[in-house]
Amino acid sequence: MMESLFYIAALVALVATVAALTRSNAAHALIYLIVSLLAVAVLFFLMGAPFAAALEILIYAGAIMVLFVFVIMMLNLGETGDIRERQWLRPRNWIVPGVMAALLLLELLLALRHAPTLTSGVAVAPKDVGLALFGPYVLAVEIASMLLLAGLVGAYHLGRRFIVRREGRSN
Amino acid sequence: MTVADFQALSPLLVLAGGATVLMLQIAFVRSVSLTAALTVLTMALAALSCVHAAQIAPLQVTPLLQADSFALLFCVLFCIGGAATALLSQDYIRHHGDEPEEYFLLLMLSTLGACVLAYAVHVASLLLGLELLSVSLYALIAYPNKSILPLEAAAKYLVLSGAASATALFGFALLYAATGTLEFTALGQQLDNTQMGQSVLLVGAAMVFTGLGFKLSLVPFHLWTPDVYDGAPAPITGFLASVAKAAVFVALLRLFLDADLFRYRILVEITGFLAILSMLAGNLLALLQTNIKRMLAYSSIAHIGYLMIIFMACITSDNRNLASEAAAYYLVAYTATTIAAFGLLTLICAHQVERENVELHHISGLFWRQPLLGGLMLVAMLSLAGIPLTAGFVAKFYIFNAAVSGHNWVLLATLILGSGIGIYYYLRVVYYMTRRLEQHHVQPTVVVSWHAKALSCILIAGILLLGTMPQSLMAYLRSIL
Repeated sequence: MMESLFYIAALVALVATVAALTRSNAAHALIYLIVSLLAVAVLFFLMGAPFAAALEILIYAGAIMVLFVFVIMMLNLGETGDIRERQWLRPRNWIVPGVMAALLLLELLLALRHAPTLTSGVAVAPKDVGLALFGPYVLAVEIASMLLLAGLVGAYHLGRRFIVRREGRSN
Repeated sequence: MTVADFQALSPLLVLAGGATVLMLQIAFVRSVSLTAALTVLTMALAALSCVHAAQIAPLQVTPLLQADSFALLFCVLFCIGGAATALLSQDYIRHHGDEPEEYFLLLMLSTLGACVLAYAVHVASLLLGLELLSVSLYALIAYPNKSILPLEAAAKYLVLSGAASATALFGFALLYAATGTLEFTALGQQLDNTQMGQSVLLVGAAMVFTGLGFKLSLVPFHLWTPDVYDGAPAPITGFLASVAKAAVFVALLRLFLDADLFRYRILVEITGFLAILSMLAGNLLALLQTNIKRMLAYSSIAHIGYLMIIFMACITSDNRNLASEAAAYYLVAYTATTIAAFGLLTLICAHQVERENVELHHISGLFWRQPLLGGLMLVAMLSLAGIPLTAGFVAKFYIFNAAVSGHNWVLLATLILGSGIGIYYYLRVVYYMTRRLEQHHVQPTVVVSWHAKALSCILIAGILLLGTMPQSLMAYLRSIL
């Protein structure tokens, strides 16, 4: 039972990723990418890692992807943008990702009903993750904080290039 | 964490603390000279703190890091490399980007990443160190914001290096699935009694090796190297070619030694095959270049090829100490030499903003115009070619020795052939430098600051000392291995 749920979610993840790669329209590709991330989250959940599943949805599908969608929508303002947006929202464009997401939701509800059964290994509760991160792996957390600092400083400097140029043009 | 743990990690703590101080300093006062001075000071402190940490080595600190003399030796090397890069960059970066202060912060963070790689005995710390090194390097490569070429190089490096990291991560995931552990030593022990079969292990190990091979730019995975080296700012190219590669190599060597992957003959034979390809392709392609930066890029591929001989030489277990000793000596010599060669390019390019293009004819007559810079390049080229009295000769001799005692005759023949080809293009640079004044176009004389002059003298002296009096370093290496 659980195994078949796992393989269905894996199939959804694969199909959604291939679709995300092959769409020529960026907005559609992003929708498929979000479905793919949701499917991976369901996989994590079925493998007994609910914390990783929650992070996958919160950070990847939630924060990063919504930001992407937002930026792409922002780039298409005005009359032509409205027409294009209406075209994007035609049923044939959203029905397939919608069905995939509904399937994943169904799986999640089924898995919750049969709660303790797992496909493999042992369940890792959020508390165990926290204990590992601030116990034996505390140095990994510290190094990761330095990694984020590097990313932040780098992104600031690279983004600055465009801010400075725009200011220069307006003057 | 006990006091001893903190003592063992002191170089990493100094670097991380230094990065924080630097960040705060930039937030309050922007001053390039102050930031550069603080960077050099912190790196020197970190290098000194290795001596302090060595008193209690070897000590395993959490499952992630192991502070032993081998790691500390490379920490010293990386800190000195980072400090030399910072000194060289000071004039350069002022001309190439506005707000040059963060450059030094990123340099400090990537040095920290390299040191973490030297300490790593766990897959998690290996990947985190690798990412810390690479993420800082993406931003450093794209740092000069007055021309478009560095941005292109950074984009190429970002995509390929990201793909390489993902491949390595996938490989480690497979190894973890098969063995259930991420510590190098335990991983090696579990490999034999896994239920998933040898094929998963080989696929996993091959993916790990592919990912790290990209970072080392071994031959089938080397395509990014010339473009990225050409586009990146010259001091960062030097850092990328020396410290970044040495760090990845040290981590790879430790993975092989701790997990005893030398048991899997086919895996080691793949490394030997890649070594042969790298030596031949690197040297042959370097022959065709007239741009010195691209030539050095291909020559660095060839040098990593020479270094990969170590893996084949390690197959017989009694040869392993000699081979690791040779690898350590080679890395020290190669880092010093590479920083010297790219340092010269940095000093020449400091005022070229649009495109750093150092062709062979740009340096013609350099020896007569600027004897100190000419001398630096001469020593660097001779050392890269492996001419006696320089560090490169002793290093190559060491590798030669390891290969002979490991009976790797094919590799040895390729090494000799590669070095033979190498001499031609290294000496061509020297030939151009010594041409008489009337034969070259008039080039503006580069003004060199006093600290760059001092650094040039130190580098020349270092390379010559390593080449003429290698005994003390050799004895030290023998004592720690």
